[in-house]
Amino acid sequence: MNSRTRQLTAILFTSLAAILPGCGKVEEVPAAKPGPAARNNSADSGSSTSAPSASGDKTPATPTATTAKLKIAVVPKGTTHDFWRSVHAGALKAQNELGNVEVTFRGPEREDDRQQQVDLVQNLISAGYSAIVLAPLDDKALVAPVKQAAAVNIPVVIFDSGLQGEAGKDFVSYVATDNYKGGQLAGQKMIELVGGKGRVLMLRYAEGSASTALREQGFIDALKTAPGIELIDPKRYAGATRATAQETSENILTSTSDFAGIYCPNESSTFGMLLAIRGKGLAGKVKFVGFDASQGLLDAMRNNEIDALVVQNPIRMGYLAVMTAANHIKGEKVETNIDTGVALITNATMDSPENKDLLDPDLKKYLGEK
Amino acid sequence: MTANSSRVFRILAPITGLLFVIILFAAIPPHHGVTILQLRTILVHAVIVAIAALGMTLIIASGGIDLSIGSGVALAGVTAALALDNNWPLWAAILLSLATGTACGLYNGLLITALRLPPFIATLGTLGFYRGVAKWIAGSSPISPPDLHGLNKFLQPQPPPDLEWSIVAPGVWLLLALAILVAWIMRSTVFGRNILAIGGNETAARYAGISIRTVKTATYALSGLFVGLAGALQLSRLTQGDPTVAAGLELDVIAAVVIGGASLSGGTATIAGTLCGALMMAYLNNRCSLLGWPTFVQQMIVGHIIIAAVAIDVWRRKRSG
Repeated sequence: MNSRTRQLTAILFTSLAAILPGCGKVEEVPAAKPGPAARNNSADSGSSTSAPSASGDKTPATPTATTAKLKIAVVPKGTTHDFWRSVHAGALKAQNELGNVEVTFRGPEREDDRQQQVDLVQNLISAGYSAIVLAPLDDKALVAPVKQAAAVNIPVVIFDSGLQGEAGKDFVSYVATDNYKGGQLAGQKMIELVGGKGRVLMLRYAEGSASTALREQGFIDALKTAPGIELIDPKRYAGATRATAQETSENILTSTSDFAGIYCPNESSTFGMLLAIRGKGLAGKVKFVGFDASQGLLDAMRNNEIDALVVQNPIRMGYLAVMTAANHIKGEKVETNIDTGVALITNATMDSPENKDLLDPDLKKYLGEK
Repeated sequence: MTANSSRVFRILAPITGLLFVIILFAAIPPHHGVTILQLRTILVHAVIVAIAALGMTLIIASGGIDLSIGSGVALAGVTAALALDNNWPLWAAILLSLATGTACGLYNGLLITALRLPPFIATLGTLGFYRGVAKWIAGSSPISPPDLHGLNKFLQPQPPPDLEWSIVAPGVWLLLALAILVAWIMRSTVFGRNILAIGGNETAARYAGISIRTVKTATYALSGLFVGLAGALQLSRLTQGDPTVAAGLELDVIAAVVIGGASLSGGTATIAGTLCGALMMAYLNNRCSLLGWPTFVQQMIVGHIIIAAVAIDVWRRKRSG
């Protein structure tokens, strides 16, 4: 009986050991030992200053960088939005140019599931990637897993959304849109659209999302330069999906109707609000500035339901983030803050050649789809 | 307490609770005049939860549970969107959505009856499965059919001009008609009585000659039909088939049924109660928005309404039993 129990336990542990690295979906021998990664207490308790340096020194984590293929994991916030597909395309573009790099693209299924992203990063650490390129869902929740990566010398490049800590010390580099500038750009356009006076409604995106909070703040600060404008901020959050954004918008519109302009800080909130004002017959009558682009939003812009969209350059973001990670592994010095740029698109400019490439890139070419 | 007065209590309690919550929150300043748009919005926001909850009421009455509802709604919505995207006529797309939902429900039912899995586990499994299938067939991004053939007008707070005669969104009337139908099924058909009998005491029901397997499987399949309808309505609302939509919807649906006075151990549930539960949550969502309260306050309130509803139920049983 006793020996049988022991036998069972042994089988259980062996199979667990076989399964666990499989979660990361990699088959090669991991460069990093899973031990330190699993022991996260040391990484948790240490202050940010004591974090082991993952950058600065020129001793790369993988000495075989020039011979074996570098495996770089790209972790977006979600996988269903067009934005992340563009990031994926940019990452693959970098992979093709670099030659000796293999990019794995894996994200949490929902854009607000922090735990899933934390688990995913931890799995990738134990799977021994050469580098992790991460768009954190939360600027605090992902601090501990990034420290764990640093503890086993896996460099992390943060992109799209900020992480608490210092670029160049706690992580290699921060590659992102200047979201505050994007919000300001939207605010200046709004002032111009409503003629410098009237009430302007802003829908917030989600609690704890650093990038959209900056877009909201940039917008608010820009509106302060126009004394005739009153900002209405119901402090309601659109939530992670278009459906929740739609419901929130409709509820706001039942109590607030007298405004000249509306601003939303990302794709899903803009789309949800668009549906809500369409339903209320306000589309095209009220000035509407959104953030990010998708087919649905561009169609609405063509119908003059949306006046302006601040767009980022997700292909460039994915490209630069992977390039930065690869260059760091090779021992090159990389910039600690990389701005990937924003542009303001209107009905009049949406068909210009350079914007065309920004708005409607041939993703299928990069992603290798039919 | 006689069976009859118990029944009256079961229906009156949630209605009283709904009125209480409405009066309580309406009393909080600032006072806003109730607008017709506000009523329309609340009703529209209750529809998808309530339609799915009709089926869930039957399942809970039978002593079961279905955690896969949110995923089923997303899957059904995506299939309908794909059908429209491939130029199917509207009726065929809706039929496909209903068929998808029914198939999901049937599969749940078969797992529970044929494999004898606990409903909680079986539907926890299919929760992941249906969501995965939805993402797979949608290619992980939303499907936007170029022409919705007017489906998008069906469930808007403000009915479009050509549907102004409907007063509230047509989807609200559909919900009302289906609610009456399901209430009738529960009360006056052999099938409905059998569901309640199984939920009340499965062994006794078996000795009484009820085919437990058939009734249970049919209950899940019928609930799936409502899930399919909720999927089509979700597509109508969003104008696109989004494979990530309705995550966690099952919890809202279960909350609606429980606030409505149903017992999770089965045997007792009313459609009127379920409708009150769904309306109460939509009302609170709207009212908290009007009051300018942050989202988290609302979540704290709804959480305790569920607790209060069950506490009242437990207290009443103790007293009568």
